[in-house]
Amino acid sequence: MSDVSLLLQAAADSVPAYREFPMIGARAAVWIAAEVHLMFAAFVLGVPMFAVVTEAIGIFTRDERYDRLSKEFTRLLLVAYSATAIWGAVLTFFLITLYPRFWTYLSGVFGVSMWWYVGLFFLESFTLYLYYYGWERWKRGGAKWAHWGLGLLLNVWGTIVMFIANAWLTYMMSPPRDVTPATVPTTIKLWHAIANATWMPINIHRLIANVVFGGAIVGAYASYRFLAARSDEERAHYDWMGYVGNFIAIAALIVLPFAGYWLGREIYEYDQSMGITMMGGFMSWLWVIQAFLIAVLFLAGNYYLWIGMGRIPGAERYRPYTKWLLIVLVLGAIVWGTPHTMIADSRELAAMGGSHHPFLGVLGVMSAKNTAVNLMILATFLSFLLYRRANKRLAVPWARAGTRIQGAMFGAAAAVVLYFGIRGYFVEAIVRIGYSVYQVGAVLACILFVTVLDVVMARGAQAIGAIRWGQMPPRSQYALFILAVTFTWLMGLMGFARSGIRQHWHVWQVMPDTSTSAATPALGYAAIMISVCVLIFLGLAGFIFWLGGLAEKSTFVPAGGRGGGGAAHVGH
Amino acid sequence: MWAINLKVAAVVLGTLALYTVIANSIPQLASEVPRTLTLGADVTPEQLVQAGEQLYTGSGGCTTCHGLGTRAPNLVTDDRGAGPIGARCGARVAGKSCKQYLHESLVQPGAFVVPGFEPIMPDLSRTLSPQQIWALVAFLESRGGTVDVSAADIPATAGNGKRETGNVGALAGGSSDPMTLFRAGGCVGCHTLGAEGGAVGPDLSHIGARQSASQIRESILTPDARIAPGYERFAGIMPKTLGDQMTATQLEALVRFLASRK
Repeated sequence: MSDVSLLLQAAADSVPAYREFPMIGARAAVWIAAEVHLMFAAFVLGVPMFAVVTEAIGIFTRDERYDRLSKEFTRLLLVAYSATAIWGAVLTFFLITLYPRFWTYLSGVFGVSMWWYVGLFFLESFTLYLYYYGWERWKRGGAKWAHWGLGLLLNVWGTIVMFIANAWLTYMMSPPRDVTPATVPTTIKLWHAIANATWMPINIHRLIANVVFGGAIVGAYASYRFLAARSDEERAHYDWMGYVGNFIAIAALIVLPFAGYWLGREIYEYDQSMGITMMGGFMSWLWVIQAFLIAVLFLAGNYYLWIGMGRIPGAERYRPYTKWLLIVLVLGAIVWGTPHTMIADSRELAAMGGSHHPFLGVLGVMSAKNTAVNLMILATFLSFLLYRRANKRLAVPWARAGTRIQGAMFGAAAAVVLYFGIRGYFVEAIVRIGYSVYQVGAVLACILFVTVLDVVMARGAQAIGAIRWGQMPPRSQYALFILAVTFTWLMGLMGFARSGIRQHWHVWQVMPDTSTSAATPALGYAAIMISVCVLIFLGLAGFIFWLGGLAEKSTFVPAGGRGGGGAAHVGH
Repeated sequence: MWAINLKVAAVVLGTLALYTVIANSIPQLASEVPRTLTLGADVTPEQLVQAGEQLYTGSGGCTTCHGLGTRAPNLVTDDRGAGPIGARCGARVAGKSCKQYLHESLVQPGAFVVPGFEPIMPDLSRTLSPQQIWALVAFLESRGGTVDVSAADIPATAGNGKRETGNVGALAGGSSDPMTLFRAGGCVGCHTLGAEGGAVGPDLSHIGARQSASQIRESILTPDARIAPGYERFAGIMPKTLGDQMTATQLEALVRFLASRK
């Protein structure tokens, strides 16, 4: 080795593994930077997805309101994008300065992909600027399609950027099994590190979760504008926007548990002990909190829909059903939140008479929980269906038979869910795990076929009356705020679960965390950190939206636009 | 406008406060980092057992599965009539001694999977040092069997003779107040004493009327020497490390206090 090399090596060796951050410590600093960055990133990745879809609806239906709505979504992105980049830079600098040895390792493995990331970020940024600032210029004819293509491209760049970043964090969770503590990072093939066991499940899970999150934040934005509106027209517009945001969030939320299930399964397959730590080890109580949050989401989402039916003429026909839906949702939430295999102290074991509660333990197993959540999803879908049909008088001659078929589909799906839920108690665990596929399949098939049938049945339907957009009580808007806060908090909680199961490892079983804060904290501390992150995010998001409002007036279309606009709006 | 802002802020802050309070109201479980274990050439089986027990019940994470009766076999208590692991390990695989079998189970868990269970046991050599693994073997042997792990089994890199066997005399900061010791030693988790305590072990409110001071002392130092009738199924739960955690003064203060409870 030359003298220069020796000097360089000596310099590298003299770099401390960790540095401290004043007041809150290095871990808390990185935690906040990573979480707030992630929240903004989720928003700027989720919103373009439905901005593009909304713009396409506007092109096909030639309804200006969808185009305007899409533009308003995109306007929210502009400043949020800068905030994402700023927090990304904060995170990077914190990692480099506070965890220098870990950063050296990670950049040794993923250095090339970090260059791709930067390049794609440039492309994504300028595509966004073109997409937004070209909106009015490329508004007609073929140019409109080119503009829509820009929106599509924006999503492509964003998705690739997210996939790259996901590779880094999933490698930390599930490095390939042939990577050991002795493996030199620069010798690990890049694709080998990227395509690790949890990469694709996280990609899909985050893709869907971003849509959920984006919808929820847009819903909260619209609800604030609704509450602050000075005219009926403006109120009607933001009522509609809030409805669209909530619809997107809840519709995507229905699919999210399936993606989460896949991720959990991959974690178990990669390392059973990691899976057990996650579900039955020191993190077991986390899932009780998660169940509570999901229950809040389902209840608040359905509550908003049920209140919304008050502004739809004809919806009174379906009001008697809501109490039954509420019962299903509450019972489902109670079962889902029932603890099963908890780490218990001796006093708790004695109180229970064993490791499981004699009665509640039966409800805490996966058979019961899967059954509960699938029935909750079916109930929520039924709420949507009733809302959708509220002001329609079906005109097709086979409407009654069609409705019965839909009812039978719901009944069959619920029967399949219950059958496999009960049967799961009498078979081996390995067989029981497979049953969840049948339950999920029955629910998804029901959602798909009932929706298709409903669309066909609605052809030529008469409207009993126009939806009275804007005529919503303020409490419905606060439900949207609760949804947004809960989604954001849930994102923080799941981030803690995903990151925390690595325990005292930077890279699972490859690179140990030897810092003073290597121990994984308990949920109480994590909850405080999550609340701080959510507060920072929501505070900044509020400021950003206020800034956006300074630059441009609201985009709602006043009455007289195509389709009536404003209060006369009848679309779903 | 300000009224709307205040209401929105109240909803946001109220929701955050609710979730934070709930998360702080449930049992707080942290994941500790396994401490480095260094054992010298003069390490005794008792020291190994004690270090192994700390790993087993703490940062080793073993109790996540073992002891629940569903995911993995019970080890420290009876498992389906075969006794604790130390009593059955020697006969588990033909030609393998208890020590060999247990060591293999920890570093090559897939080599033999107990019928009726899934192969979910992780290879502990990825997370624990050889010293820690041998300490675990010694602890498991001690559960119903004979400890034959010795310094000779432990690799030469075993260290400089320091050991991690708990902080002798550090219990309750050296206090000799018996109730402080009763709580700090974790006794209160299982035993009732007056108005407080759990119900896993015998009620000690009037223990002095049933047992002499020497019997109480023996029960603290060697908990499984005699199991109180009716508590057989909880045999093995009481830690055997209390003698190492207390000074002689502390132990005697606790013994005298309990003996006076008539």
